[in-house]
Amino acid sequence: MYNKKKKGIMGIIITIIVLIIIVTISNIKINNLSYAQGVANFFVMPIQNGLTYLKNWISGNNTFFTNINNLKEENEKLKQENSDLQKSLRELEIIKSENTTLKEYVNLKDKYTEYTTVPAYVINRDISNYNDTITINVGTKDGVEVNMPVISEKGLVGHIISVTSTTAKVQTIVDTSSSISCILTSSRDSIIARGTLEGDTLLKATFIPTEATIMQGDTIETSGLGGIYPKGILVGTINKVITTKNITDRYAIIDTAVNFAKIETVLVITK
Amino acid sequence: MRKAIVIIGIFITFLITYFLQANFFSWFTIAGIKPNLFIILGLFISLFLGVKIGIAYNLFLGLFLDMILGKNLGTYAIMLTVIAILGSYFDKNFSKDSRLTIMLMVMASTLIFEVGSYILSMMILNINVEVLYFIKILVIEIIYNAIITIIIYPGVQIVGYKIEDIFKGQKILTRYF
Repeated sequence: MYNKKKKGIMGIIITIIVLIIIVTISNIKINNLSYAQGVANFFVMPIQNGLTYLKNWISGNNTFFTNINNLKEENEKLKQENSDLQKSLRELEIIKSENTTLKEYVNLKDKYTEYTTVPAYVINRDISNYNDTITINVGTKDGVEVNMPVISEKGLVGHIISVTSTTAKVQTIVDTSSSISCILTSSRDSIIARGTLEGDTLLKATFIPTEATIMQGDTIETSGLGGIYPKGILVGTINKVITTKNITDRYAIIDTAVNFAKIETVLVITK
Repeated sequence: MRKAIVIIGIFITFLITYFLQANFFSWFTIAGIKPNLFIILGLFISLFLGVKIGIAYNLFLGLFLDMILGKNLGTYAIMLTVIAILGSYFDKNFSKDSRLTIMLMVMASTLIFEVGSYILSMMILNINVEVLYFIKILVIEIIYNAIITIIIYPGVQIVGYKIEDIFKGQKILTRYF
C-alpha cells in the first residue's frame, strides 16, 4: 500500500519534470543557446580560472596573499557602494518604465493627429489557442463603440466587437475570423488579409490580382474599404509569396507590424 | 448546507482555473500551445457531481466564459454542456479509479470540445478554415491536457469522491452491487 502510494507520488513528480522539460525545449529558439553556453561555462570556467591562477603564480604574477586585510576593507566598502547603486538602479528602472509608457502615448497621438482617439491599456488576452481577442480598459463611458478601429504606434490592431461601460473587447487582425481589405503601398494593388492559425504575428494575403507584382518586403496598408478601418494604416510587410500552379490561387504571408504578444498600449479611433 | 459549500468551492476553483489559464499558462506553453483547463474542470464536475448538476454548472460556467472572452454568446456554453453529458456517459460506463481511463476521458473530451467549438465558429463567425494547423494545435493541446490530468488527478480523486458522497449519497452503491 505504502509502496503503491510512493510510486504514485514519484509518477507525478516525474510527469511534472517531463512537462517542464517539454515546455522549455519546445519554446527554445535555436539562436538562444546561451543557456547551453552557461552550463558549459559552469563546468569549465572554475577549472580554467584555477589553471590561469596557477600559471600566473608560476610566472611570478601572483598577488593573492598581498595585504588581505586591505582587501577585506575594500570589499566591505564596495559592497556598500554596490547596494546604493542597486537602489538607484531600481528607482531609475521605474522612472524609465513610466517614461516609455508616456512616450508611447505621445508618439501615438502625434502619429495619428488626423483622428480623434482614446488611449487604452490591454488588460486581458484570449485564453484559447484558436482565437485572438484582447480586452482594453476603455468602454462606453469613454465614448467607445462597437466597430471602432483600434491602432497602436506600429500599426493596425483590430476593431471593437463588444463594449461595456468600462471595458471593450477587440478582435485583432490576426484572429481567424478577421478579413481586412488592404492595398500594397507601392503598386496600390488591392488584396484581402486574413487571420491565420499559423502564428500570432502572421496574416495570409489572398485574392491577389493576377497582374499584380508582389514582392518580399512590400508594405501593406488598409484600403479604407469595408467601413471599419480608415485608409492608410500600416498592416505589415510581405514575408513570402507562395506561388501555385494556378496564378489566381497564389497567396502571400504577411508579418504584422504589431507584435500582438507584447502589445500593451493602444488607441481607439472614435472619429 | 454542505452542497452549497461545495457549489461555492467549485466556483472559486473555476476562478483559480481562469487566472491560471489566463496568466501562468499563457507563457507556460508547449510550442506556443496552451492547455484548456476548463475542459478538465467541466469533465470532473460532471463525473463527480452527476449529470443534472454537471449540466447546470457547466452551462453557467460556459455562459460566464462566453461573456468574458467569447466573440459570440453560446460557444463555450454549448460545448461545456456537451462535455457534462459526455462526463455522465463516461461515469456510467467506465471506472474513475484508473488514471489511464481518466486520461483517455480528458483526451476524448478535449477532442470533442475543440472540434465542436471549431465547427460552431465556422458556422457562426465564418472563420478561415485551416485543417492542418487546427490538427497540429489540437494534438498538442490534447497531449498537454492529458499530462496535466496525470499530475492533478490523485488530488482531484480524493476531493471528488468526498463531493460524490455528498451529492449522490447511497445512489453510488447501486452501481456496484
